Formats: sequence, structure tokens, C-alpha cells
Amino acid sequence: MGESNQQQVPLKEGFWTSGTPDGGPRLIGSRCTNCGEVYFPKKPKGWCLHCQQQTLEEILLSPRGRISAVTVVRQPPAGGFYHGPVPYAYGLVDLSDGLRLVSQITADDLDSIPVGGEAELVIKPLYQDPEGREIMTFMFTPVA
Amino acid sequence: MKNLNEMREVYVAGIGLTQWGFFEQQECYDFGSEAIFKALADAEMGWNDIQAAFCGSVYQGTASGHQAIKEVGLTGIPVINVENACSSGSSSLRLAYLMVAAEIYDVVLALGMEKMPRGPIPSTAFRPWELASGFNIQVGNYALETVEYMRETGVTEEDLARVTVKNRKNGAMNPNARFQKPVSLEDVMASRMVAEPLRLLHCCPLADGAAAAVVCSKNKLKSLSRAVKIAASVITSGVYGDGMPAAGIASSLQFPPEVGILELSAQQAYQVSGYGPEDIDIVQGYDTTVPSELWGMEKLGFCKKGEAAGLLRDGKFDLDGDLPVNTDGGLMSRGHPLGATGLGQICELVTQLRDEAGARQVKKARVGLAHAMGAGPNSSVTILTR
Repeated sequence: MGESNQQQVPLKEGFWTSGTPDGGPRLIGSRCTNCGEVYFPKKPKGWCLHCQQQTLEEILLSPRGRISAVTVVRQPPAGGFYHGPVPYAYGLVDLSDGLRLVSQITADDLDSIPVGGEAELVIKPLYQDPEGREIMTFMFTPVA
Repeated sequence: MKNLNEMREVYVAGIGLTQWGFFEQQECYDFGSEAIFKALADAEMGWNDIQAAFCGSVYQGTASGHQAIKEVGLTGIPVINVENACSSGSSSLRLAYLMVAAEIYDVVLALGMEKMPRGPIPSTAFRPWELASGFNIQVGNYALETVEYMRETGVTEEDLARVTVKNRKNGAMNPNARFQKPVSLEDVMASRMVAEPLRLLHCCPLADGAAAAVVCSKNKLKSLSRAVKIAASVITSGVYGDGMPAAGIASSLQFPPEVGILELSAQQAYQVSGYGPEDIDIVQGYDTTVPSELWGMEKLGFCKKGEAAGLLRDGKFDLDGDLPVNTDGGLMSRGHPLGATGLGQICELVTQLRDEAGARQVKKARVGLAHAMGAGPNSSVTILTR
């Protein structure tokens, strides 16, 4: 995301691409050439859990979906793994590819994220690591 | 695969339950060994009678069961540690049960114990990027399921609060519970929000504690009159398409399962035991957050989807109702020492079926069912009968 001069590092390599013809970021997933099931993240072994065959191909997922459930977390998760802001929102997003995924949901007002509403993919900083680098991740944000 | 119906009968000969709460100066082997001593005394047996031990825990580190057992006896028997998230205790029971049913051993110990870290459950049953994304907050994961459940059934936040009120009322009669004070509907609705729509008093507290059961064949029982038979002890793990955010799994939109993990565990338990939902007199449900007790009752086959909240309102699940649920106060009152919870449920069923539950005793309890879920995911269903 443009304005920052800080070094940006993805939370996990290979989760999204920004170099698509329409310009926007896209998540990288897998689709089964046999049954049509869709997975995110991409399954590196190409193995379809549903039809029990090595039939997956890489695809770019739709950058838009529908928020089917959301919660706003008011206290930090335990274990010391999460370094992002609190409160934060996350939820289930249904993509038109036929895939439901778990994603953080970002919005100016976390309390008014509409369940059932449309959302689009954004790549945003999740937190700053001790070396001062911005750790980037995918999120969905409601669209009007 | 062998048919469990054709194998020999297995009994719970003795149970041991410690006080559950927070105990700064005690370690899990202190609770664990106390539960073993109590279970042996209850079974009228000694450590030399035990031929194998399965020890459930989640956060206790390497060979934690051995740590408890070395306070009790060193007889060279196999001691196997079992980590299966919140189903660790019920998994230990299933392994003990199978060993006796298959005539490998005659007398086996099942132990569950935990000294919990403070704060929310620090679940690691996720990929590192999911942990870093804040997806391991189990109250949040249950909140996502609850949002969908409330939308599909019309269940309200007050309906959820009624589960808490019922369970904390029962827990007030359980001297082993962490919380022994009832709460009102207003208390629950005024408690702080943890993850919408779940408030603090919709979520079970954690606790330290242990529970144990001595499991044996009929000919090894010292007392037939106090023995309780294991009619079924089932564990199922993930089923394709069945979503459980608490296990890092979103449901498949294209290929939803015909039978989900919970329903599958119930079906198998009913098939092995020969009992159906209509035969069950008492239930120990899985109220890790209160909505999961409601949808659990529905998926276990006691009523249709969306009906549990109405039956709760009508008093069916109260101590004096047709089908008392969480007679000891459930996870909401007992607290949740992860590895001990499944066996804590078993201790309560045995106590009720023996007619030894004192102030919270249910009338004419003959067949009891316990259900627990766990990250992974796992679903365990145990049916006991007198």
C-alpha cells in the first residue's frame, strides 16, 4: 500500500499476487479439475481432500465475496502469537468461486460491519515486527 | 473391523475427581495423583491391580502422565499419554474401554488432568499464519458459529444467557466446581463483551483439576451394585465439508457433508449401545460456550434444529425436567481443565447413575450421555448405563 516507506513483508509468501491485469490484489488458491472444489491457501501437494486425487490446479480467487459471519474480538488472543491491534474483526467470507474462508475484516467502524454484505480483498499491514518492518496480510473490507 | 457389540462388557469400577479451581501452589501431577488415589479407593482396588494407564492432558509437557503416576506406584505397566485437545480425557477413556473390551487387559486406568495457563485458551491447533492472524481465539470462533446459528434459528442472546443461568444454578450444588454461585439473566447480559455476540458469562471459565476412572471387566468388579457399564465410547475426527472455525476449518459451500462430525459420533454411539436419544435420562453437554450446548442437544438428536432454546425455556433441561443437562453445572461452573473435562463429565454421570449426587441428584437416572468437542476437530460421545 503506497504511502509507506517502511519495508513490507508478507505474513506468508505465496498467499496473494498484486500483478494481475486488472491491477488489484488476488488470493492464490487451488481448484480441483475433477470435482470443482476450491481451496485457500493453495494446497502445495495438489491433493484434493474431497475427491482424494492429485487433481488441483492453481487459480486466482475472486477479490470479492459476501460476509456470512463476523465477530469483533475485544481481548487479545492467548499464546503470544498475535501482534495486531485489539479490538479486531474477523469472519467467514464466501467468495463467488464457491469457497468460504476465514479472514480478518477491516473497516473504519468495526461495530457496523454488515453481515450478508459485499466485501473486497485488501492487503494491509497487520503489525510492525521488532525490526520495524510492516507485516502484511490479506483482509476483506465491506464495500458500499 | 470388530463389532464392539460382540466384545465383552466393560464397567467403570471407580471414579476420582479433585476440586477444580485455580491453585497456585499445586502442579498437574498433584491433581492427577489425587484423582488416581480417589478412583482406586472408590473401586476398592490398589495400584497393583492396574494393568495399563492412559493419561489425557494438553499443556503439561512431555510424559506428564508418568509424573502423576510416579506419585502412586512404579509397577512397569504401560503408561500412555494422550493429547487430543478438549477430548483428551474422553479419548483416554475410549482407549481404556477398548483395551478391556478386546480382552487385552482386565483393569485399566483412564486419567485426565490439567493445570491451565491464565487467560483464554492459548490454542495452538492452527497453522502459524492463522495464529499470527488472531484466529486462535476460541470464543471468537464459537462466536462465528453462533452468528450463523442465531440467524438460522432465531435464538436470541437471552436464550444463550438462560443456558448459563441453568448451569450455574446446578453448579451451586457441586462442591467440586470452580464457581458455586448462581447468576441471574441480568448478570449474564451485563457481563462484558468478549467477541460479539458472546459475553464473558456465555463462556466457560478455565480451571486446574483432574478426573480419573478405573475401567474393568465384570469379573474384576469388587462391587456390582455400584458399577456403571460403558454402553458406548466413541471418538470421531474431522468430516469433509463440516466447518469448525475452532479447528481452523471453514465449511465447504460446494460439498456440505451429509452427516457432520458431531452427528456421526452420536450415530455411532447409539448404534453400539443400542440406545437412542429417547432412552437417555441425563446429559453432560459441551458448554464451552453456551450456544454449543444448545446446538449440541440438537445434533445429538434430542430435538430438531432450532428447538433446544424453546425446550430450555420450558424447563425440559432443568434438574427436575424430563432431560436434565449438565447436572453438575457443566463447563460453565466446573471450569475447563482441558485434558480433564471429558473424564469430569464421566464422573458426574457415574455419580448420578449411582444415585450418589446429593442435592443435585436426578430422579430415576438409568442411562446417561456425555458429549465433548475438541480442536482438531474431535467429537466424543460416551453412553453409560446402570
